[in-house]
Amino acid sequence: MPKLITNGLNFHYQQAGSGPDVVLIHGVTGDLSIWFLSQAMGVLSQSFRVTAYDLRGHGYSDVTPTGYTSADQAGDALAIIDALEIDRAMLVGHSFGAVIAMHTALLAPERIEALVVSDPSFPALRHLEDLSRWGHWQNFREEAAQAGVTLSDEHWYDLGRFFDQVSHLDGDQLLRFRQAVGLPGFNRLMRLAPTTCGADAKEIAGLTEDLIRSVTQPVLGLFGEFSPFLATADYLAEHLAHCVKELVPGAKHRAPEENAAKFVDLVYEYLLTQQPRAQMVRSTR
Amino acid sequence: MISVRPEAEILGDIASILSTQLGVQSSSSIDLETRFFADLGLASIDAVVLGEAIQNHYNRRLPFNELMAEIGRRANRDLSIGELVAFVSEHL
Repeated sequence: MPKLITNGLNFHYQQAGSGPDVVLIHGVTGDLSIWFLSQAMGVLSQSFRVTAYDLRGHGYSDVTPTGYTSADQAGDALAIIDALEIDRAMLVGHSFGAVIAMHTALLAPERIEALVVSDPSFPALRHLEDLSRWGHWQNFREEAAQAGVTLSDEHWYDLGRFFDQVSHLDGDQLLRFRQAVGLPGFNRLMRLAPTTCGADAKEIAGLTEDLIRSVTQPVLGLFGEFSPFLATADYLAEHLAHCVKELVPGAKHRAPEENAAKFVDLVYEYLLTQQPRAQMVRSTR
Repeated sequence: MISVRPEAEILGDIASILSTQLGVQSSSSIDLETRFFADLGLASIDAVVLGEAIQNHYNRRLPFNELMAEIGRRANRDLSIGELVAFVSEHL
């Protein structure tokens, strides 16, 4: 299993293809397998050298008790890029992975050429969003309530509260919750729950509204057609120097799963516009 | 292409890899019907790591991308060990 040690930690990564570098960053509670399930690795590696890694606390990377803010994990991303001797890269991030990607681009603008941010929710832009637009949240809240975990609309973004409650479930409640989310998901959550990941994910950590607006790299803001974060989509398109917005038809917050084919096509097309020298190879999908 | 390895041997190799590299406790009771996720409690990330381990074991690149994409297309996103054995056998 490909692993590298950097920033004092073991990170699991996968790499494929050749050409300009692209780095894929998954979201909280996920792992790099989403890039395989969605065929992002297979398609993008036709024209690019694609690297995907598991965030700390996720997949087969080391779990740490702390260090999950976007600033911390942007540091991880840069350490990984250094360790793999990647000089400059385009970043594709989903959900909190997109927040990490943007923070990375702002910390090291000379290293990051372009960004695809898929359904990000930035802590500094939380005030833009109206949770009532997210039907999925209401369903999830009902399922969680049946398992004894209370999630409030007021703190919908507060993964910390969620993890805290999950950590304190016992006996029957634990079994019901485990049945509701499935064993693999449950194991992932139980591993993350004792860490500061939940609390850190809502920290601005230096990624302020002003800093977000100062991004100069080209950005594709890719959002599900029914995403709960469409106000963020409009904001980025309006305020960033070079941001275009695209919607993934039929998707909510998880476009790489909900409409993988269209998601990957939009990412691939955009990356090719940023790197015309990359060989364009159309696969039959 | 005729595989030089019988499927029973491939099944044994996979069970061994699951035990030694993925920490699967019940590898002695794995058969062709065993489901990767529902029965073994593994996740898609484990499938990625298992694919890597199988390729290292046979010292051969195998088109695991296709298999992962197939899993991604399924509603239940699961795979039986029998399907995995057949895939490996076909491509060795």
